[in-house]
Amino acid sequence: MASSILLPGDTIPPSALPHAKNPSKPLTLGPGLRHTPPLTITAHLAGPLHTDSKKNAIWVENNGGRYIPHPSDLIIATILSSHPESYTCSLSPYTPPTLLPHLSFESATKKTRPILLPGSLVYARIASTPSSTHLTSSSSSSSPETELECIHPSTGKADGLGPLKGGMVWDISLGFARELLKKGDGVAGIEGVKRFIGEGRGFECAVGRNGRVWVDAGSVGDTVRVGREIVEADGRRRGSEWGRGEMGFR
Amino acid sequence: MPREAEPSLNEREFIHQALREQTRIDGRALDAFRELRLQFGDERGVVDVRLGKTRVIARISAEVVAPYPDRKFDGIFTITTEFSPMASPAFEVGRYTSDEIILSRILEKAIRRSSAIDTESLCIIAGLKCFFIRADVHIIDHDGGLVDASCIAVMTALQHFRRPDVSVEGENVTIYSLREREPVPLSMLHHPLCITFSYYDSGEIVLVDANRLEEQTREGEVIIAMNMHGEVCQISKFGGTPVDALVLLNCTNVALKKVQTITKFIQRQLEEDMRKRDVGGLMAELSAENER
Repeated sequence: MASSILLPGDTIPPSALPHAKNPSKPLTLGPGLRHTPPLTITAHLAGPLHTDSKKNAIWVENNGGRYIPHPSDLIIATILSSHPESYTCSLSPYTPPTLLPHLSFESATKKTRPILLPGSLVYARIASTPSSTHLTSSSSSSSPETELECIHPSTGKADGLGPLKGGMVWDISLGFARELLKKGDGVAGIEGVKRFIGEGRGFECAVGRNGRVWVDAGSVGDTVRVGREIVEADGRRRGSEWGRGEMGFR
Repeated sequence: MPREAEPSLNEREFIHQALREQTRIDGRALDAFRELRLQFGDERGVVDVRLGKTRVIARISAEVVAPYPDRKFDGIFTITTEFSPMASPAFEVGRYTSDEIILSRILEKAIRRSSAIDTESLCIIAGLKCFFIRADVHIIDHDGGLVDASCIAVMTALQHFRRPDVSVEGENVTIYSLREREPVPLSMLHHPLCITFSYYDSGEIVLVDANRLEEQTREGEVIIAMNMHGEVCQISKFGGTPVDALVLLNCTNVALKKVQTITKFIQRQLEEDMRKRDVGGLMAELSAENER
């Protein structure tokens, strides 16, 4: 539902705002927009403007910057170190570490918890972030760090989350990761990936919102092929020089 | 303090496994360079080198100074490297990483101390006046292969640069501006280039032009500087596991082929740039006819 491309500083005309079915629902401003009272909304990022009349929300889709943790995002984290109660993980380089409690794995007890070495990968969900703790009642922690979990908080099932064994990780842009993880594309964005890869190949994959894709297609050659196809699709989508030159198959 | 991104265990294992099966994660052959692109600035002596996603800009400038008192007959040539935080968050202004020190030392050894530039030709009046040629290397984007890319950048920029012409009459020196006299190219004795070899499994697998991820997972590197006639200017190996002498010998053979292709590529690009600048030749410049 992209209607127009915005540049930083552009004001949004009232006609572009979503027409909410329920007039009592307040308008939600997403990333890239700021509100100047009383009625002016300006963009501070460049990108296409998206609106959602059901949620009465409006945001700018921007494919850049660093990943900022947000509760219930699926991410691929790297274990940095192990502590008595939890693992310290990194979501993206040069950002503060996050916590993954030892007991937030499926059927983990103090004796049966998975032992993960530094450098291992886990597919996890963001349970809480420092700014969100006062909003979500479910998380009782008041830690100043972002917390991860590998189980569904209510069912205690893994739902595909947990340590990732073997395979290879590829870096993609944040916008592409969001697109792959769109709602209705199943767990881990596999349907989204398949749209870009084409049929006829079996592989396991997990898409992290922090701009990482984990792929395991059995053999080295197939994994490289699938991974590079994903990276190439990202390059084509961006349409700039990222998709040119050395990205081609040889 | 920014922390450099360490590749995960999965990535390390996968890269090793793939290399044992003669596959690289970006689909290249083990002895293939990434795509090399050169772009010349409007000014002489400015070159923008892209090696895959690595990007380096070199710029040459000249000024007239007094020579060092112990080297009265030599001009001065220095290479300065600058790692911009734009290239990678691991680089900080004012804090020298080992990468930066290694890069500047290698360039120093490969280009300056192998006397690629004839410094004696930079002397104007012995002991009084000489040219000071300065090469500034700016790292704009870092995806591995910094040494190779920087060396290509400096060598190309030096060949692209033109210094102002001078004439000496007794003690009087005249330095002609660009309009008065055609500036002259620097006198080069040879054109050395650096080729970095990354090795895994203690020399069983040898790679050319590793990207950043491959650099982070390798066991060690060997940097060979060589000119297109096969004269080795330097071999450096900083740390890492020991390498067999025969592997090293093989590396020099591969390096020679790479240096020859890259040197030819640089020559072609320089000639093309010459043609672009020289529209219509001298006749067009001398003509007084106006465009109508």
